[in-house]
Amino acid sequence: IAEHVGKAAANIAAGAVVCVESEIRGDVTIGPRTVVHPKARIIAEAGPIIIGEGNLIEEQALIINSYPENIMPDTEGVEPKTMTIGINNVFEVGCVSQALKIGDNNVIESKADLGKNVILTSGCIVGACCQVNTCEVIPENTVIYGSNCMRRVQTERPQPQTLQLDFLMKILPNYHHMKKTVKGTSTPVRN
Amino acid sequence: MASLLQPDRVLYLVHGEKKIRSSLSTLYFCRYCSELRSLECVSHEVDSHYCPSCLENMPSAEAKLKKNRCANCFDCPCCMHTLSTRATNIPAPLPDDPSKTAMKKAYYLACGFCRWTSRDVGMADKSVASGGWQEPDNPHTQRINKLIEYYQQLAQREKLERDRKKLARRRPYMPLAFSQHTIHVVEKYGLGTRLQRQRPGAPITSLAGLSLKEGEDQKEINIEPAQALDEVEPLPEDYYTRPINLPEVTSLRQRLLQPDFQPAGASQLHPKHKHLLIKRSLRCRKCEHNLMLYYFSVRIMSIPNLRFQKECQVLLTLTNPVESITHVTLVGCEEGDPEDINSTAKVMVPTKELVLAGKDAAADYDELAEPQDFQDDPDVVAFRKSNKIGFFIKVVPQREEDGDVTVSFKIRHDFRNLAAPIRPSEEDDAPTEAIWLTHHVELSLGPLVA
Repeated sequence: IAEHVGKAAANIAAGAVVCVESEIRGDVTIGPRTVVHPKARIIAEAGPIIIGEGNLIEEQALIINSYPENIMPDTEGVEPKTMTIGINNVFEVGCVSQALKIGDNNVIESKADLGKNVILTSGCIVGACCQVNTCEVIPENTVIYGSNCMRRVQTERPQPQTLQLDFLMKILPNYHHMKKTVKGTSTPVRN
Repeated sequence: MASLLQPDRVLYLVHGEKKIRSSLSTLYFCRYCSELRSLECVSHEVDSHYCPSCLENMPSAEAKLKKNRCANCFDCPCCMHTLSTRATNIPAPLPDDPSKTAMKKAYYLACGFCRWTSRDVGMADKSVASGGWQEPDNPHTQRINKLIEYYQQLAQREKLERDRKKLARRRPYMPLAFSQHTIHVVEKYGLGTRLQRQRPGAPITSLAGLSLKEGEDQKEINIEPAQALDEVEPLPEDYYTRPINLPEVTSLRQRLLQPDFQPAGASQLHPKHKHLLIKRSLRCRKCEHNLMLYYFSVRIMSIPNLRFQKECQVLLTLTNPVESITHVTLVGCEEGDPEDINSTAKVMVPTKELVLAGKDAAADYDELAEPQDFQDDPDVVAFRKSNKIGFFIKVVPQREEDGDVTVSFKIRHDFRNLAAPIRPSEEDDAPTEAIWLTHHVELSLGPLVA
């Protein structure tokens, strides 16, 4: 019997491909045409996570809405903050993202580390192994690269990975089991 | 062998002009002198030029003509990475029928590291994959070339005059000063002829045929002197008040990599052709032969916890790279050994001779082969595997310091010089004589554990 367990349900829209080996904890909403690879982790501890459509979340990526460091999980009066992720983003292998607001068409390359206070707008590329833990809004079309996290602005935003997404949506179900998605208006199934 | 991450744990001593201790991966071996050489006791020569990304070899003359740059590969002006060519499909009108559009391939350059593209500076996409990209012309090229020609002619004239005087007054016992002076004058302004590195005392043969050819007409090149201007362009009015657009400002490194233009704005950074690299040939200074890499190595296998003043056993491995049996003896350093300056621990090495089997390339496949029977002392030899042997040494750290524990000893082994020319006159000699080589080895075993 399917049970609706309030906050602990993951809300996966129809058309999203989420592998069973991925770990999704907490109140997570995933939009259509998003692909979540096995071993990806999406953890909504301190608040819900809303992920838009057309995103690509690769293996060992960690998207976590965590408590700020100085607040204990049991403190009363702490407002749960929602983490919003837009459309057509790519979270490459092994990246860690705690940023509360991510726009569209961003690429977070392998092993990049985004802190809690960063806000990514659109078209940004955070390079491999770059740690961005400043408290700022990254302007549009910024590229952060290099061991010193140099920055430059590019003239065009990165293209959405439509080809890759289509390919994965066809191939992944051949090799992995998928988490159940929401169909129409039925209650969410506990996974 | 030394690994990428821990290169300096096993050091060998090189007897050169300076005593250098370095790991085997940076040392060379001269098989005619039978000695280890480091980079400092060899002479370098330019062997060939090649491009690091397309690996195209270029003869030196061509490289000089192209200013040591590759013709096909480009560097990103932003991060100096290699640019790659990417293709997109763009709709373009067909030449026959302007109303219909067909997909045509357009190529642009892009950097994989910082995501710079050639479209950022306004370079149009090209329809050919390679060869379509041009570097922008330097407006001062003509003047610079004219100046270079003029000065080259001047230098040649000076050299001829000087040599004519010296030839008349040359004394046979003064060749050294002569040769160094000539080399210096020829290299001035890069006159193109490269003199061989003259060894002291050798006669100068290149000047033998020199004589002023009167019949040759030398073009008189005149240059105009540079003119100083009184009026300079004034600065724009908002120079002090305009806010800086930081992503648009080029860094010093980006600017100086293009000395022709030195653009101050990132939208004028054009890609440059990739610089060529040189393959060096190294020669031993004493015997002028080429060197080879040395391959007989000691490796540290496992180290237990090192405690101050407590004896512990360290396991080392020795690998035999040749196909014949090699005998190795280890000798500890004596008191007062002038080479033994770094060791902080006493070491007891096995006194018996270690025998290493030859490298047998077919040993992996030959299952019926009998294992060779060496009588191994189990206290000394830990294991033996085809051409590898593991043995123990005892280490007693002597100093209670924060640094690493270092031990040193001498390793003596026989070496057969298979590459040396066989002297036909001495036919009774065995074709391969064994020479005993001794090396001083220092091992760095890591810090002490309290």
